[in-house]
Amino acid sequence: MKDSLLANLSVQTLFDAAADAMLLVDNIGHVVQANAVALELLDYSFEQINGLEIEALMPKSYRNQHHQHRNSYYKNPEKRPMGKGRDLVALRRDGSEIAVDISLSPISTGAQHFVLATLHIADKRRKVEEALKISEERLRLAKEAAGLGVFDFDYRNNVIHWDERMRDIWGEESEESVSYKKFVAAIHPDDRAARQTVIERAIDPASNGEYSVDYRVINPNDGVERWIATVGRIHFTNGHATRLLGVARDITDQKILEKTLQEQRAEMETLFKQQVASQTVSAIAHELNQPLAAISAYSEVALHALNSSTFNPENLKRALEGAVAQAQRAGKSLHELLAFMQKGELVTERFELNHVLKEALNIAKGDGYGDFSPLLALEPAMPEVLGNETQVRKILVNLLRNAVEAMRVAAVPSSAISITVRTNQEINMAHVTIQDCGPGLDAETAKRIFEPFFTTKPTGIGMGLAISRALTEANGGQLWLEQNNKPGATFHFTLPFATLT
Amino acid sequence: MSTEATIFIIDDDPAIRDSLTLMVVQEGFAVSTFESAEAFLESFQTERFGCAIVDIRMSGMDGMLLQEMLTKHHFQLPIIFLTGHGDIPMSVRAIKAGAVDFLTKPVTRERLMTSVRFALVESEKMLTERASHQSVQSHLAELTERERDVMALAVQGHSNKEIARLLGISHRTVEIHKSKVMHKTGATNLLDLARIAHEGEFKSIDKP
Ligand SMILES: Nc1ncnc2c1ncn2[C@@H]1O[C@H](COP(=O)(O)OP(=O)(O)OP(=O)(O)O)[C@@H](O)[C@H]1O
Ligand SMILES: [Mg+2]
Repeated sequence: MKDSLLANLSVQTLFDAAADAMLLVDNIGHVVQANAVALELLDYSFEQINGLEIEALMPKSYRNQHHQHRNSYYKNPEKRPMGKGRDLVALRRDGSEIAVDISLSPISTGAQHFVLATLHIADKRRKVEEALKISEERLRLAKEAAGLGVFDFDYRNNVIHWDERMRDIWGEESEESVSYKKFVAAIHPDDRAARQTVIERAIDPASNGEYSVDYRVINPNDGVERWIATVGRIHFTNGHATRLLGVARDITDQKILEKTLQEQRAEMETLFKQQVASQTVSAIAHELNQPLAAISAYSEVALHALNSSTFNPENLKRALEGAVAQAQRAGKSLHELLAFMQKGELVTERFELNHVLKEALNIAKGDGYGDFSPLLALEPAMPEVLGNETQVRKILVNLLRNAVEAMRVAAVPSSAISITVRTNQEINMAHVTIQDCGPGLDAETAKRIFEPFFTTKPTGIGMGLAISRALTEANGGQLWLEQNNKPGATFHFTLPFATLT
Repeated sequence: MSTEATIFIIDDDPAIRDSLTLMVVQEGFAVSTFESAEAFLESFQTERFGCAIVDIRMSGMDGMLLQEMLTKHHFQLPIIFLTGHGDIPMSVRAIKAGAVDFLTKPVTRERLMTSVRFALVESEKMLTERASHQSVQSHLAELTERERDVMALAVQGHSNKEIARLLGISHRTVEIHKSKVMHKTGATNLLDLARIAHEGEFKSIDKP
């Protein structure tokens, strides 16, 4: 130590600057110093590690042995790697293990003997080795279990060398090699072109040489058709494809299963569609038949009144009014139904949602649904949305009508409807929330409200929400009921903005 | 039947209730309407002369279930079902369970009234049977225990002599009991007595 500059540099600073984890251990095996890297690697604070027996930093199974090694090392200290190429493991404070390489250097200051242990993380190397071992093992197992056949296509001589399993599938007796022509002859004619394309792509030197294709093979002896899956890799020499080395697996059973599953799925789907269709038709039939039944009865009442000697004009009037109202109801059902089914043709434009909301509020008022006070929270200067303005207005009016109707039934003291229009940042869409103070919905009802013709109202048609949902979706948004324990009902819907920001 | 017939209309569609009410009232019947099966069950008392026109398809309790409930509680009321579409298996089930008729909407006045009239005849029958059943019951209740024993054995076909031996009483006493039984039940002969015993679900008491 000739220079005062160096003398100023403390040992601890040097120690901490080292890239490897270092532990200083005294002659009775206690840690007396550890650098920052070591503390981090082993997840200890200095206070925790200081004075710890070194064996505490290794898995239990190593400890006894290490005791003995340690004693003999102190008798004959030398600088050397620990473990002689064996895998060493350090134990972290949380009990997890990490593979490390350790080298040992004896340090003596007078009578005191220490050992400096330097730890390298060996994890990476170890993992790669392990993965390799596992994949080799897997391959062996897979080949055995799956009955894999192996083939080697010699590209230059147009010959294929293959194993017994391959020969089995191709119906070849014994030859170790077969001409490419003969090999291809057994492949199902419909599958040859697809296979050829895959090979050509793989032999392109610009490709990664990977090859994978499924095709059918027809055994020339018995005519049995089998599906096989082949995977392989092209080998290149001087930029030219020379070999295709690969494996083949019989996947006939799997293909058959896939096919049946697919058929079953298709069948289920048709069945389901039929069921939905028949339910809808039955709902429509009911919806139209009810007013017809009433009209028929009212008309007969009117006829009877006219024919009877005790003519009652009051009843005649009531019957005719009833008939008119019911004819209107039937017509309305039909139109709602058509609106529901015509949602497909959509003319979109840009418009201000806040403006359309105000129009909807006016329409609701004009239609006799004005008995509520709106509490508006409208985002100022919100970007324009893109959609069909008329349809969006209809959605809003439907939701407002429902809210008012709900509050009427419950006869709530305050008939306020809170309406929020804002930008939903998460999905970058306009987001409308309509919350009333009506009785809300029980879980059973909530499940069904979007079904066509589902209603709990005596004169309801039950198409309002079904149509509104169909319309929002046609406009690229969503409509849903919030599931919460708040009083009243809360409906949400979203719409896309005109310009994507 | 002194009371006037009441036609109950149970349908969740207000227009159907209204139009059918007008129609049935024109025929001179009293009408009582309900918007649900539950509401009807709540207000219905047994012993009413009349019939019910019930919609099969209602939210909440449907028509078939209402029929079941009425049967379960021994409420005797003929039911005419109305349905949107002629569901054959359902109509068979309803008729088997005692429904008077199963009509498809829209129903004509003529068709409905024919069923109503038939249902009222049924209702009257039910009530008469019920009344006679009740009078038999009250007659039987007047009998003393000994008289019941004698009656039980008599309707089983035992002669007075056998009854005397079985009950350990004199032939003369049996004769006296028996004439009291005939008098109290109003039976004209032994066959009539047997009928009364059957109608009143009279259980023979198996005492020696
Ligand atoms: N704000 C609300 N509060 C409570 N219940 C509601 C609310 N909105 C809808 N519902 C329930 O959902 C049902 C279906 O609503 P929907 O608008 O589809 O039909 P409807 O209002 O009954 O009839 P219409 O076709 O005339 O609109 C209603 O009958 C009602 O039970
Ligand atoms: Mg509605």
